Amino acid sequence: MKKNQLIAAAAAAVLGISLLSTGTVFADEAFRTLDEIKESGTINIGVFSDKSPFGYVDENGEYQGYDVYLAERLGEDLGVEINYVSTEAASRIEYLQTGKVDIILANFTVTEERAEEVDFALPYMNVALGVVSPDDAVVESLDDIGEDDQVIVISGTTAETYLVKNYPDIKLQKYDAYAEAKTALENGNAAAWANDNTEVIAFAIENEGFTVGIPSLGSADTIAPAVTKGNETLLDWLNEEIVALGEEQFFHADYEATLLDTYGADYEDTLVVEGGAVGTVETEAE
Amino acid sequence: MQSLGLDVLFKGSNFIRLLEGLWVAVRISLISVVLSIVLGIPAGMLMTSRSRVIRALFRVYLEIVRIMPQMVLLFIVYFGTTRVFGWDLSAEASAIIVFVFWGCAEMGDLVRGALISIPRIQYESAAALGMNQLVSFRYVILPQTVRRLIPLSINLITRMIKTTSLVMMIGIVEVLKVGQQIIEANRKASPNAAFGVFATVFLLYFLICWPISTLASWLEKRWA
Amino acid sequence: MEKEVILQYLPLYREALLLTLRIGWQGVLLALVFGVACTWIRQLKIPVLKSLVTVYIELFRNTPLLVQLFFLYFALPKAGIRMTPELCGSLGLGLLGGAYMAETFRSGLESIAPIQEESALSLGMTSMQALRYVILPQAATYSISGIVANVIFLLKETSVFSVISLMDLMFTAKDLIGMYAKTLECLTLLVVFYLIMLLPVSVFGSWLERRMRRAEFGA
Repeated sequence: MKKNQLIAAAAAAVLGISLLSTGTVFADEAFRTLDEIKESGTINIGVFSDKSPFGYVDENGEYQGYDVYLAERLGEDLGVEINYVSTEAASRIEYLQTGKVDIILANFTVTEERAEEVDFALPYMNVALGVVSPDDAVVESLDDIGEDDQVIVISGTTAETYLVKNYPDIKLQKYDAYAEAKTALENGNAAAWANDNTEVIAFAIENEGFTVGIPSLGSADTIAPAVTKGNETLLDWLNEEIVALGEEQFFHADYEATLLDTYGADYEDTLVVEGGAVGTVETEAE
Repeated sequence: MQSLGLDVLFKGSNFIRLLEGLWVAVRISLISVVLSIVLGIPAGMLMTSRSRVIRALFRVYLEIVRIMPQMVLLFIVYFGTTRVFGWDLSAEASAIIVFVFWGCAEMGDLVRGALISIPRIQYESAAALGMNQLVSFRYVILPQTVRRLIPLSINLITRMIKTTSLVMMIGIVEVLKVGQQIIEANRKASPNAAFGVFATVFLLYFLICWPISTLASWLEKRWA
Repeated sequence: MEKEVILQYLPLYREALLLTLRIGWQGVLLALVFGVACTWIRQLKIPVLKSLVTVYIELFRNTPLLVQLFFLYFALPKAGIRMTPELCGSLGLGLLGGAYMAETFRSGLESIAPIQEESALSLGMTSMQALRYVILPQAATYSISGIVANVIFLLKETSVFSVISLMDLMFTAKDLIGMYAKTLECLTLLVVFYLIMLLPVSVFGSWLERRMRRAEFGA
């Protein structure tokens, strides 16, 4: 009997492993082309549902925020319905690679590593990293972090990768979702929270008792829509769309509709990227 | 009220949304249980097969279900199958597949247990009365088995409802995820919403599962 | 699959395995303690405590661990009760498991016909002796499969620990996938490590069950 069971278990292991390792043969068509999306009448867009004010759900169950404002416009211009897919930071690449969403509009920072896995369109926002901490023990430099202190990060974000790479000694307290990370910080479970500076600034403004001690960390990056690698028709359309939207100052309007309440007017020019053109560099789309 | 963060529940359609989220969980479990019963009965009959190969295969199957957390299976089915086979399964379909994979094993094992616990003489008597295998199964064995299976399958429903809480991890917006969204949308106005919302979700699960599991154990005692 | 990737991730999975085992077994121990305490209170029929025990068992048997953890870790601090993630993890498992263990113990005790205790008493045993030499050995034999099932169930339940920031096996895999997108390697390692963690328990459990059954009949 015992032997039988061992054999069974070993077979189970072999079966499981071989099932997984036969991988990488997956279809090239892991995505839907622009025409296929239009034909189906619905586009699947992955957004955050707990990262206000960029992507969240209001008390009536409607998706809202800076990313969602853009998503709504994309849907309108494509002439299709939008099916929002609520995503966590760590599953964004996975959603694209398995074709479960057509576009990720979940505050997705462009990085070299990610660009190997997915295709980024032109950017629509600037971002760097930032660190927020409680007023009574503001963290102004990462060297202040004590040996027993923990820093909250969200799994799968650029803040996580940055800290793992550059500050391997800092103890990280990782969460899957924004809602969890923020509640944990509020509850005093860690010394600080490192994330996109946009997000930590918003958090400090909206929650009394917290200060952004490190407003800018790491390199200056951008946030852009992403599609499955190789989905050129959709990527091209997105790029043209973003350039076209720039002409009507769409992203400034987006800022004013969704972010003004949180940040005030001060951050408008530093945050918004119009027409895919970062800083003073003219559009690189041509 | 304010200090416990219960007020957010009555804002907008928040409470209705929580209930809708709960319904998502219940719907997934009900579909899964029905499919598990339909597939579990033949599976259980196969488990009593004389063929060594078939029994060995089912052993492997049962052992996988016994050892692998449903969470792992959900990830493999939802993300893994797309990569390996190119299937594009929706999150809900993946959840149902995993739950049926699990439920079918449990039902099958129960059916097997029920079948072998019925004394041999009953099969022989049925045969002596001129019933063929199918007829005797239908009129003699099945009625006795079903009595044992009903309470256990009702019990399986509650366990599945509880396990549906995991599907938030593959992007299904069910009651717990709705709860998080409510907390997030009201962080500024009601900083203590986490208490009210999570306590409510806790109670909602209890109010759904408790009557069902009480019914199951009552039936089990009555029909034992 | 890339071999180097797997080798590179191995230490992280090993660390996750140790954490999962540590918190998992702490949870199992707590569950046994809670289970025994509840059974004891129920057997002695202590008035108020007995009702409290019933409420506790029903509450924790009829809600998911994920929801319990959310409540313990995120809601309770709002009421001034704060725990470390580790404590929260093992306490959560312990509370959940305690309710299951109590039910398992009870059905084990109930399986012993009352006449056995009566006979033992009539033979001049004290009720402690009857419990020690007559009831418990049989109840334990009867409960063992339930206890093993509970232990495996609890160790599997650790897979939801990501919500309270514990780097268990599941979260380690998810986290690595999120950072480096090596899905196949990560999921394969995940499956292998769960097998490493739970196969021995499962095999040992079945062995124990058979042995106990033999004890039952062979005595």
